[in-house]
Amino acid sequence: MNAPTSIRPQARAFITSLALIGAAWVGAITTACAPFETGGGPEGTITLPEPESPYIAFNIWVKAGSQNDPAGKEGLAALTASLLSAGSTIADSYQAILEKLYPMAAGYGGSVDKEMTVFRGRVHEDNLEDYYTLFKNSLLQPAFNEEDFARVKSQTLNYLERGRRYNRDEELSKELLFWMAYEGTPYEHPEEGYVETVESITLDDVRAFYDQHYVRNSIVVGVGGGYPDAFVERVRADFDLLPEGSVATVNAPEPMIPEGVKVLIVEKDTKSTPISFGFPTTLTRGDDDFFAMVTANSWFGEHRNSFSHLYQVIRDERGMNYGDYSYIEAFPRGYRTQQPPVNVPRRSHLFEVWIRPISLTEPDNLHERSLFATRAAMRELEHLVETGMTEETFESSRKFLHNYTQKYGTTVSRRLSYKVDDEFYGIGGEGFLASIRPGLADLSLEEVNEAIRTHLQTTDMWVVFITADAAGMKELLLSGEPTPITYAGDKPDELLAEDAEIAAFPIPVDEDDITILGIEEVFQSPRATPTEVATDEQE
Amino acid sequence: MRWLFVAAATLLAGVTPSLAPGSLAAQEDDGIFPFDYELVELDNGFRAYLIPVNEPGRLAYVSMVRTGSRDEVEEGKSGFAHFFEHMMFRGTEKYPYYDGITSEMGVDRNAFTSNDRTVYYLVGNSEYLEQIMDLESDRFQNLAYDEPGFRTEAGAVLGEYSQGALSSGRWLNEKTRETAFDRHTYRHTTIGFEADVRAMPEGYEYSKSFYARFYRPENVILVIAGDFDVDWAKELLGQYYGGWEPGYVPPDIEPEPEQTGARERTVYYPGRTLPIVNVNYKSPAWSATDKMAVATEVLGQVAFGSNSDLYRKLVIEEQRLQSLNADFGLQRDPSLVDISMMVKDAADIEPIKAEIQATIERFQTELVDDKRLEDTKSNLKYGYLMGLETGQQVAFSLMTTIINTGTLEAIEDYYATLASLTPEDIRGAARAVLKESARTTITMLQAEGGAE
Repeated sequence: MNAPTSIRPQARAFITSLALIGAAWVGAITTACAPFETGGGPEGTITLPEPESPYIAFNIWVKAGSQNDPAGKEGLAALTASLLSAGSTIADSYQAILEKLYPMAAGYGGSVDKEMTVFRGRVHEDNLEDYYTLFKNSLLQPAFNEEDFARVKSQTLNYLERGRRYNRDEELSKELLFWMAYEGTPYEHPEEGYVETVESITLDDVRAFYDQHYVRNSIVVGVGGGYPDAFVERVRADFDLLPEGSVATVNAPEPMIPEGVKVLIVEKDTKSTPISFGFPTTLTRGDDDFFAMVTANSWFGEHRNSFSHLYQVIRDERGMNYGDYSYIEAFPRGYRTQQPPVNVPRRSHLFEVWIRPISLTEPDNLHERSLFATRAAMRELEHLVETGMTEETFESSRKFLHNYTQKYGTTVSRRLSYKVDDEFYGIGGEGFLASIRPGLADLSLEEVNEAIRTHLQTTDMWVVFITADAAGMKELLLSGEPTPITYAGDKPDELLAEDAEIAAFPIPVDEDDITILGIEEVFQSPRATPTEVATDEQE
Repeated sequence: MRWLFVAAATLLAGVTPSLAPGSLAAQEDDGIFPFDYELVELDNGFRAYLIPVNEPGRLAYVSMVRTGSRDEVEEGKSGFAHFFEHMMFRGTEKYPYYDGITSEMGVDRNAFTSNDRTVYYLVGNSEYLEQIMDLESDRFQNLAYDEPGFRTEAGAVLGEYSQGALSSGRWLNEKTRETAFDRHTYRHTTIGFEADVRAMPEGYEYSKSFYARFYRPENVILVIAGDFDVDWAKELLGQYYGGWEPGYVPPDIEPEPEQTGARERTVYYPGRTLPIVNVNYKSPAWSATDKMAVATEVLGQVAFGSNSDLYRKLVIEEQRLQSLNADFGLQRDPSLVDISMMVKDAADIEPIKAEIQATIERFQTELVDDKRLEDTKSNLKYGYLMGLETGQQVAFSLMTTIINTGTLEAIEDYYATLASLTPEDIRGAARAVLKESARTTITMLQAEGGAE
């Protein structure tokens, strides 16, 4: 129930360069050179033929992501993708590209997550040839023009300096949770990098990154929709003109499970507090108990859905904020989309709870309310872990998902992206989308509860608050005092009785477990000790 | 990682095509709307468009209410249309737990509010068509909530206000509106003033009158798009919506008096930002047939869009602007069009304003290049066609036309008007709309100390 407040919301108009169409993801640089065939296309391709469709979608997967950024150059993979997406080619200046794309109302763009870079594009069949020439050239014949680089870098820096930490705290709290949990691993830094590291990136760095990672044996070509005969072969042959190369395989991150509850409070002048907490799991898509955890998590915290139990407890019954959700896979920029992101596959995931900003309702009650909401969510998690799902919640969640997941692949671009992710995760057969309904149907309540016990826990977790008066928050948290809330209207007695339990729910922390940082101190530069990333050279 | 998306500027994403009314639709040969459809009209004034779309097993069910923050005429009630949108999810006597039922069906359901509209949608599996219609028709006719529930939801709206309160876009939008408008309700944003949002828990009685005046069959248009049996849907419509009592009361919206002099204001944003120069002009109301209105929307694209000479000069070549965005989409009532620029160097603000003025004067005197105009028409056509892949997209593509005119049919008029535009029409729009006396310029600077 978002309320677009733009005066002219229907004119989506004018997507200029940094349109920030969100899409993060991951790719594993697993076996970069292993030959594979998917969907009947030639080797190194993923195809999704839909002859009736008037659209053709592209998804070019480059097996390198932000985990491949050199130390001190965090953000390089992302800046490289940005330059290719919004830069000149040998054949055409950037302006000429814009002019040629304009009558087609088409475009293309790149996205970088931890493990994967993808370039996606989509065009109406009437314009395929002209479009494909531009799209192909952007990846195969980039001009690496200084002016383009200056523009793209400046836009990135503007976002890092003025956007990320100042515009949407609820997304920042999620990013900081990953930053805590993956300290010392290749997943530590945000894909866009830090202010200081992006400042240090030169055009030569970008060129070197491109030469090293954009090699034919590390690129998979995805094409879907109503493309003509022999088209896929042509696309693959074009990408085979790239040289072969050897790409360093980055070892899977070993995230840190904290001992106890570790809290980061970021100090910022604000009247509301977003909260994120969670911990690493070993679960990934394709695991035997994946659908069991999908079912449990959907009931507990389905993304932006009132079906979420957390939503019901915190928002629906108590009106404390706009929404409360949980995740078993990375879900960046969830504020802008209800659909799960595609092309964000990772070898490591967190179990994550996202409590959207809690507002103060009286001048001094922000911390009480924020801690109340945190306690409510932790208490519900404890309840889930201790008692599991019931036959009733299990069945309702399974039925919900049976229907709800049908929306995951509604467009050819999304279906194609899922196939790319399948390749990453090694999911064969008909693929992940087709496996959801049978996977749900095969579940039993016992399996779900076993999976909950295996993957969830309540004692060791990372917690992030972004709030004003961080010292006051720390003091209140350390005191262990109950943090009750009040309501504008009458509430039933049962709810008030439950409130008393929530308000006193223990969050065991010592002073050493709490870190306070100013908003200026986060994401400005890498942590003091540079991360050593173990890599193995692999052909 | 954010997406960097090249080009692909589409003007009027919301404009839609349409077809001749009447039975079994039939697409006109040279029309833009590529689907057959059927219009159902009930005696109480309720209208529904039924559009088969090839999306096996899925459909979108979209109720468009022609009421938005534009209709918030009473003092202290800004933001109420959006708040009321939230209340529509609080259940009825028959179905006290709306969320539970939609969850069981696994439908994607949500709503949004803006100036002229409140739109509710469910997207789900076609097998649930009748249950969806039962549920939707029921809450539009028999919404029931008590005061405690009302107050609880007010808390969620405050949370929604808070999560974007300091976003620079919303902040600037508030300042722009209150400077540019004196009377019309476009003076406030859809989310409303903070004081009004905080006072919402006290508005229980008012909310009932809001429902009684605006949630009426004459003011709501339904679009069903997807995979379903049209004849069966027609029968269901009479059954579920036939008994809805008419009684729409149009709001008494004060028209905005003609602006008689340029307005200029500098505001200081309490967060981080590069300077933003936002140049606004009072604009005509949306129309499918008025060449000047349609030409105004095209003008924004050709003069200030990502493919314009000005964009090339200031953003790409000289890189004096971090961004240049023009929003020339029109509204149901006369409103604003704007050009917004993020300026890299504060010392460059006045020269940048001069660049804008020079561009305006150029378009007021010279004729736009034929190719540029034809490319823009092509952009609008494919921008429309590229967004029709799912039932939901098809339904949403009709929103602007339906909200502004109450009908879908105006779509073909709109595209016919567009096709007929000449370079002279674009120049005419530049002369008529981009007048100095109708201008409001807001310069937004970072307050001292930034976010501290």
